[in-house]
Amino acid sequence: MTRTKTRSPILALLATMAIIAAACGGAATPAPSAEPTPAPTVGPTAVPFAGLQYPEDGNSACGTEGYEGQMGLIKAIDATTVEFTLCAPDAAFLSKIAFASLGIQDGDYLASTGGGGDTLIRNPVGTGAYKLKAWTSGSEIALEAYADYWGEQPGTPNVVFRWSGEAAQRLVELQSGNVDGIDNPGTDDFATIAADPSLALYPRVALSTMYLGMNNTKAPWDNEKVRKAIALGIDRQRIVDNFYPAGSSVADYFTPCEIPGGCGGDPWYDFDPAAAKALLTEAGFPDGFATKLHLRDVVRGYLPAPVVVAQDIQAQLKANLNITAEIDVQDASTYLGAASRGELPGLFILGWGADYPDVTNFLDVFFGVGSGIRFGDKWEDIMGPLTEGGATSDPAARAALYTTANNAIREHIPMVPMAHGGSGTAYRADVTGAHSSPLGNEQFSAMKAGDRDTLVWMQNGEPGGLYCPDETDGESLRVCTQINESLYAYEVGGTAPIPSLATGCEANADSTVWTCTLREGVTFHNGAVMDANDVVTTYAVMWDAAHPLHVGRADQGLFEYWTYLFAAFLNPPAA
Amino acid sequence: MTMPTDKRAAPAAVQSGSARPASLWGDTLGNILHQRNAIVGLTIIGFFIVVAVLAEQIATFDPTTVLLDVEKGAKKLAAPCIHALGCAAERPEHYFGIDQNIRDVFSRVVFGTRVSLQIGLVTVGFAIVLGTTIGAVSGFLGGAVDNLFMRVMDVLLAFPALLLSIAIVVVLGTSLINAQLAIGIVAIPIYARIMRASVLSIRERDFVTASRALGESSTGLLVRRILPNALTPLIVQGTLGIAGAVLDVAALSFLGLGAQPPLAEWGSMIGQARNSMFSAPHLVLFPGIALALTVLGFNLLGDGLRDALDPRLNR
Repeated sequence: MTRTKTRSPILALLATMAIIAAACGGAATPAPSAEPTPAPTVGPTAVPFAGLQYPEDGNSACGTEGYEGQMGLIKAIDATTVEFTLCAPDAAFLSKIAFASLGIQDGDYLASTGGGGDTLIRNPVGTGAYKLKAWTSGSEIALEAYADYWGEQPGTPNVVFRWSGEAAQRLVELQSGNVDGIDNPGTDDFATIAADPSLALYPRVALSTMYLGMNNTKAPWDNEKVRKAIALGIDRQRIVDNFYPAGSSVADYFTPCEIPGGCGGDPWYDFDPAAAKALLTEAGFPDGFATKLHLRDVVRGYLPAPVVVAQDIQAQLKANLNITAEIDVQDASTYLGAASRGELPGLFILGWGADYPDVTNFLDVFFGVGSGIRFGDKWEDIMGPLTEGGATSDPAARAALYTTANNAIREHIPMVPMAHGGSGTAYRADVTGAHSSPLGNEQFSAMKAGDRDTLVWMQNGEPGGLYCPDETDGESLRVCTQINESLYAYEVGGTAPIPSLATGCEANADSTVWTCTLREGVTFHNGAVMDANDVVTTYAVMWDAAHPLHVGRADQGLFEYWTYLFAAFLNPPAA
Repeated sequence: MTMPTDKRAAPAAVQSGSARPASLWGDTLGNILHQRNAIVGLTIIGFFIVVAVLAEQIATFDPTTVLLDVEKGAKKLAAPCIHALGCAAERPEHYFGIDQNIRDVFSRVVFGTRVSLQIGLVTVGFAIVLGTTIGAVSGFLGGAVDNLFMRVMDVLLAFPALLLSIAIVVVLGTSLINAQLAIGIVAIPIYARIMRASVLSIRERDFVTASRALGESSTGLLVRRILPNALTPLIVQGTLGIAGAVLDVAALSFLGLGAQPPLAEWGSMIGQARNSMFSAPHLVLFPGIALALTVLGFNLLGDGLRDALDPRLNR
């Protein structure tokens, strides 16, 4: 997964102009290409709207050689209408376009920043109720209300994001009144908060999964019996009972059962240390072996106490299987990178929280065609039904396909699903509109912090960047959600997609063509008016890996969510 | 502090009382036993040494065993239960309570003693051996060698000790051995400087000149004449250094850069329990007390030794 990440900004600009020129071309005279295309503003006196389309030639990408994605064509019909042509029906389309990574960006601003680098990462421009005021590295991110916001002004004019990896510190800050809300109180602090009348606890539905990963290209995990021994040899109930807060449950499937259709097929194996030991002996390790247990010491909804849980897994591996696992705590971003690149040699503890409530957000992300190589080589009999399921809109047929996929996962054991972690948020009792989002994207514009003019929120960590097409971390996405808006949004505190920058999207009969009507009078924080071309550019930049603006963060540039959402890039980089 | 305690000074030190000609070590011991600080320090350290040696016998559980495997109904973060202090008889005894991973804290603190004492001795031993060699060679040879060694030591001293050890651990990889190595490296300049200063002053003394006149080789002079007379300040500094080393390694372990789980080490026990400080204070209290007592013991002994070994303070 290596790729050139930096490109000359001049080249980028030229290429952008070429794209625009091509889009404007076609039947028209070539003259417009000579003059710089005006900013895509829509006003009574503006030049006639020149709608972009992508791919520029107007031919759907579906079925072209080497392309496995689900997006076919994106086209700006007029200033307020965008048409998406998909390669297959997609029942979850609205849920997908509501996701924070697909927040609409100002096309001109993207071009002016070259599609990446510090300017873009640290100075996001969106259409949201809040705009960025200041980001003080290592300290805080301050947002202020955007005066020209198209919707209702937020209840509190300022929001400040702070962060601390220590649950105890977050609680103390909340108790002392320094902050108005905190994410993920420590497991042992739930009772303390519930008993304190000045605080309010909001449990978060367990839409997340913690798993113990293994890379099947690395010994001894290339042996299916070893993987099964791990699956049978760990008492997951004991871990959930002792180290997870109320509302958590043992994972019987990779997908939490609250997600419709996620729980088909046989439930996960029961704890059976004797059988596990026999399997390990059969695999040629009667005396166990030595390995590593990788993790990052970051509290997430799926993992309330990382090192504690790791130590219990370590103790169980020793006691049940005589496997000596050395705990290897890594720096968070190093760790995520190493996992994504499939470089971790030992067992690794990671998890996943729902971005949108659909099976594809769990199974496709980890086992589908567009999934990464964190578990090593993929299995055809898991991928097959998933691809089919994503393109099926009939609920019964979909459920049958996901049952097949779940059973195949149970058979091959690419990882061991451990727990669905319940978590929560806590606020000062006078914060009105406070909520926990099952998707982890709390909306601060819906809250009012008593009579204060600033709402201070303390989360687990600092965002890596605020250009969210290229972010995967929930800590970043939550900030982006306040600044950027997508065509749809998730209802506050819920999971249902509701119109946002689009007033509505209509599907054709077989759900392969979606036509979205944009809200009028929406402006970006830099004053530019949003129109259909911004939508096309935002999507195209993520979609086409060869797009000159497909740059992103200097140390990242992976645009991972696009492949999670729509399976593959256009012009994918050579693996 | 750099005054030598050569044997000729000894008779003067024991003026009244003993008629026996005293030895350096006999003298020192006698002096130490007159120091209240040193006695308290020795007692504390002696206690911990006994605990460390007999850890298997004293501990009530294996320090890394999760109690769920051996005891039904063990609850994490359970407060201490001591029958003699009114804890219900049907509940199993845990003198210091149960930790976040459902292990017996008492047993972990006991086994932690072994780790901490080992760390202190090994780290300081390493630093003394290297530091003494560098200091002695530097002081004895002088000139360019001296200049080179001492500038390197100055560079090491220019960094804050803990910061430099963190940097070393990050480069070498996190483990207890590397943490000890890092703390040891950082401590070298202190011993090198002390040794050099002693050697510089002693090599000009008459008895050294006399030995040289008698044809003693350079190595012989350094090893047989100068080094034994330069040991006193090293012993004092070494004793105090153990306290520092125990603390520093605990600090590294607290940060997750030293002892790796599930090893019972006081610093890492405190570090891992820091988020439970309010809900289960016993998790940080007991290893904290043990750490503080150990450091106090070595500091008191070090102070006592300094007084006992300093001929200017002889009574």
